[in-house]
Amino acid sequence: MNSTIDIIGILSAVAVLTGLGIGFGALLGLVSERFKREDNPLVEQIDALLPQTQCGQCGYPGCRPYAEAINQGDALNKCPPGGEATIHALADLLGRDPEPLDGEAQSEAKVAFIREAECIGCTKCIQACPVDAIIGAAKLMHTVIEDECTGCDLCLDPCPVDCIDMLPRSAPLTQWQPVVAHSSNMIASDRQPASRVS
Amino acid sequence: MSNAFDFPGGIYPPERKQRSNQSALIETPLPRRVTLPLQQHSGQPAKPCVAQGNAVKVGSVIAKREGMVSSALHASISGTVSEVSTTQISIEGDGQDEWLRLPPLVWQNVEPHALLERLNESGIVGLGGAGFPTHIKARVVEQHTIHTLVINAAECEPYITADDLTLRHYANEVLEGAQIIAKLCGAQHIVIGIEDNKPEAIDALKQALTNSQPVPVELAVIATRYPSGGERQLIKKLLDLNVPSGGLPADVGVLCHNPGTLLAILHAVRDGQPLVSRVVTLTGEAITQPGNRWVRLGTSVRELLEQAGLNTPELHQVIQGGPMMGTPLLTLDTPVTKLTNCLIAATLEELPPPPAESPCIRCGECESVCPVALLPQQLHWYARAQDDAKLERYHLFDCIECGACSYVCPSHIPLVVDYREAKSRLRLQRIETAKAEHAKHRFEFRQARLAREEAEKQARKQARQAQQRRPSNTAATNSEKVDLRGLRIAHAAAKASVKKAEKTLARVAQEDPKQSLDDLEMQLATAQENLKAAELQLAQAREQQSNEESP
Repeated sequence: MNSTIDIIGILSAVAVLTGLGIGFGALLGLVSERFKREDNPLVEQIDALLPQTQCGQCGYPGCRPYAEAINQGDALNKCPPGGEATIHALADLLGRDPEPLDGEAQSEAKVAFIREAECIGCTKCIQACPVDAIIGAAKLMHTVIEDECTGCDLCLDPCPVDCIDMLPRSAPLTQWQPVVAHSSNMIASDRQPASRVS
Repeated sequence: MSNAFDFPGGIYPPERKQRSNQSALIETPLPRRVTLPLQQHSGQPAKPCVAQGNAVKVGSVIAKREGMVSSALHASISGTVSEVSTTQISIEGDGQDEWLRLPPLVWQNVEPHALLERLNESGIVGLGGAGFPTHIKARVVEQHTIHTLVINAAECEPYITADDLTLRHYANEVLEGAQIIAKLCGAQHIVIGIEDNKPEAIDALKQALTNSQPVPVELAVIATRYPSGGERQLIKKLLDLNVPSGGLPADVGVLCHNPGTLLAILHAVRDGQPLVSRVVTLTGEAITQPGNRWVRLGTSVRELLEQAGLNTPELHQVIQGGPMMGTPLLTLDTPVTKLTNCLIAATLEELPPPPAESPCIRCGECESVCPVALLPQQLHWYARAQDDAKLERYHLFDCIECGACSYVCPSHIPLVVDYREAKSRLRLQRIETAKAEHAKHRFEFRQARLAREEAEKQARKQARQAQQRRPSNTAATNSEKVDLRGLRIAHAAAKASVKKAEKTLARVAQEDPKQSLDDLEMQLATAQENLKAAELQLAQAREQQSNEESP
């Protein structure tokens, strides 16, 4: 008698657990189909850390493709406009070791400037601009919208008459940064005796 | 005193108000030449609307409001415009002082929008120091209900007596100006907050309060303590309301105005006189005739101080604003602007330069005086270490830069300088982030547009092929199986993202009409381009399929 109860008990337990397993498995499967995401949220996060100049210096056509490549395991140090700060932010996010920058860091923000007198109106730079920051039409002069230009250099190469310069980006007065020289926080007794009046 | 609540911290620096509050408020002689900077207010600089050589009268508009938060600028003397540059306009005076006034308004009878328009065209900004355009401030009623108008006459900084003298001479006018603003924003109470070190101004106000006031006015005399004149501190002290972090007084139903601003409002409405002059305190040991003056905007600081008997050999530095929050002037050849409330010509003994900075000893003195209850020494470490995440977490942007922490620091650390630097660095970073985001959207839009153009090209090509095929009546050559289902899903997804973008745009536009919607509009356009491309591809695939089936 006892043994039959045991068998029934074991069987029912197995059945219940199997049922639960199948039920939850089906639920998970349904949910993963129903709320499927096309994009990878990690790629979004990586993309948000990149400087969005869309310059292609990393070897990918834009920041998002590079973000996808990083997610696939590509190196973090291929973004010169971002510099060390971006590498460290990416390393923090992905838990990888930061590597030294591959290439030369940009010293200052730049924008493209078309010497309008020399422009022949070939539209080649317009096609190259990744953010549509150049306006103009065939055989008419082109010009760069300074506010939209990311300083990516991509318009320099296609220009047949080399009339595009990269100039430092002008900063409005409202973005002025104070220049503060902090005195080194030395211990008082270590200070140079010259500063003491005796 | 019916209400007395308290804000944390605060200090008691030497007041030194005696020097400038002894003499009556007088007018300065008309300047021969004025220089008017285009940015005398917070927000966008004004846009010049005069050219060199134009004749102007006092009150002629010389620069117009540009953008939402901005303010108009008027000629402060009559004469000819001698220079218009990207930052300032200079006027050479003719000594005639001819005025161009707007028609007077009887504020009791006119519509609110007419009053708002008058504030707008009179170029009135907050004269307490921040310079926020008053017509924008008055428009908060569109989003918030205001129950109390606070007149901020605390004037807690040492040396400054401009509001004190304004109230002594114009108590009735200031109260009338307050009634205009109370009517405009629908406030049911007016509270005047004034420190007890201005007995004459308090008497003048008591006298003025005996006249009938349409909206009840309460005079609250508070103990003198720096910085009780901070907007948040005063609201806490008078009404026991806490303005939320990152919020405005309007969030708790309060509007705060300076007496000088209220006087300017009355002059603009009752007399049609735009903001062309203001009260400036001239004080400090290096001038012989200190006091308060009505000064035309754009008057040179040097000229003004020389009229007050500047003792050049004794002069060590000139501070614009108060000694706690003001800025030392690098040159005296700078004009008085709408924001210049005080000029201190100090001698070396009076305001000596601070001793060399020593390391922080963690005494905690700064924490006990901070009126916002921040942790100044933590902020100091994080600001020096440029630890931006920590700075945000310790509420750096709630710092009002009052300088109480620097004042008490036994190591003479210029704490406020650190905070200002960190704030401007963080602000720049925010701008850069927004710019990167914008560039990203533009890039995505371009990608979407290129995809749509490619799809259109394909469609045209196919149409051409179909036309060629029909006469010859050959069977479909393209036997490639079309993924109709995949395209349909892509189409539905594109449609959904257009709807989502539209919804976000509508929601944000309703929540905050002032915000720039460029990026959201760009996202919507991107989604629309994607939808168009998907539609074209789908149509193309369907046609291909029907071609395959029909013949």
